[in-house]
Amino acid sequence: MANGNRRLDWDKKELMERLDGDHEFMCELLLIFREDSQSNLERARRAVRERDLPTLMRAAHTLKGMLRNLAMNGAAEMALAVETASRQGKEEEAAASLADLEHAVKNLLSEVDAHLAEVKA
Amino acid sequence: MKILVAEDDSVSRKMLQKTLRQAGYEVIAVEDGERALKALRGEEAPRLALLDWIMPGKDGVSVCRAVREPSEHPYTYLILLSSKESKAEIVEGLESGADDYLTKPFDVEELKARLRAGERILELEDRLVEARESMRFRATHDLLTSLWNRGVILELVSREIQRSFRENSCTVVMMLDIDHFKGVNDQHGHATGDEVLREVARRLQHSVRSYDMVGRYGGEEFLVVLNRCDPSSALARGDNLRTAISRRPFQALGKTLEITVSVGLARSCDYQNCSVDRIIQAADTALYAAKDAGRNCVRLSRPEGEIVSLERAEQRLSASRM
Repeated sequence: MANGNRRLDWDKKELMERLDGDHEFMCELLLIFREDSQSNLERARRAVRERDLPTLMRAAHTLKGMLRNLAMNGAAEMALAVETASRQGKEEEAAASLADLEHAVKNLLSEVDAHLAEVKA
Repeated sequence: MKILVAEDDSVSRKMLQKTLRQAGYEVIAVEDGERALKALRGEEAPRLALLDWIMPGKDGVSVCRAVREPSEHPYTYLILLSSKESKAEIVEGLESGADDYLTKPFDVEELKARLRAGERILELEDRLVEARESMRFRATHDLLTSLWNRGVILELVSREIQRSFRENSCTVVMMLDIDHFKGVNDQHGHATGDEVLREVARRLQHSVRSYDMVGRYGGEEFLVVLNRCDPSSALARGDNLRTAISRRPFQALGKTLEITVSVGLARSCDYQNCSVDRIIQAADTALYAAKDAGRNCVRLSRPEGEIVSLERAEQRLSASRM
């Protein structure tokens, strides 16, 4: 079940507070996020294909931490769902949640790109 | 203060790094458990560490367990980072050796406060180690001269003699006594006497090899142990120590004093498998012989009761070469 319509819930204000209003640092973190979210999603997808639940669990855990730190709370909950399902050995549920997560991250990335472009301008 | 951050999520790592740097820490950031353990077990390792629970390879809990294995390293204060769902596992974390835990994402002020608590523990640990070292020193050293005290030097001499029996090497036991020391105390006072004792100790210490041992045996008596010593050079080595004292006058509390010592020695190779007491007794007999011979000289005891001087030994040596 893709949750495309749900508000993605990126609390930029919360993030800004956490970073003491340091815009430059925020951009730096977002650039890291752009790269590393992709590599972790790739790791998770491969784990699903190879039915390697421990790896899937760790990839989801890393993504969850990253998303929470950036106050991307909705997507972080989806990463948690992947992590929990894979820990419990629920393969199908984990794969379905991963699809949700991928979709959410994709939307977030366009928001991130928009933000970066806005700052640059 | 150095701090290690082990965190596989690059965003968290970056944020932690920045926060901690701003708080004045020198941050070493790594991305997995193996690297964390390497950093904590390396030279000049950080003594504060923030470890993520879940990392590829070794996780935070394994790192905690490994750090807590007995080692020579000083105490490391470990804080585990976990996400809020794993509170049930916190007990496991603390049991594995972590000192504290923090749930992510954490509040910066809370993080700093917990690190300060860690620093207080480390300071306490340093003070305890320092106190222990100072107690150890006081229990093993003579407080006036900082040489080994009587109990320790006797233990050392015993150990070295036993070893020389096993290894078929030679340990030289040397007893030195300051000549007319009572006169120094009577004429110049005890403060000057103490200064003379300290200077004798310094000169003896400087005149032996780093692996020889010098102890204060009693009032103005010193015991020197030379291990793995060439037996034919024992008397010459004793004479070196004698001249180290007599060569230059002593400056003590504004007075210039001529100080000499008498030296008695015994070699373990002459007393194969005899008791340690017997060998010390022999060195003492040689010391009395040196005193009787007019002081400021060296004598060696042989098992048959023979007393040998440096001159006699040299004569014998050249005669045997003829």
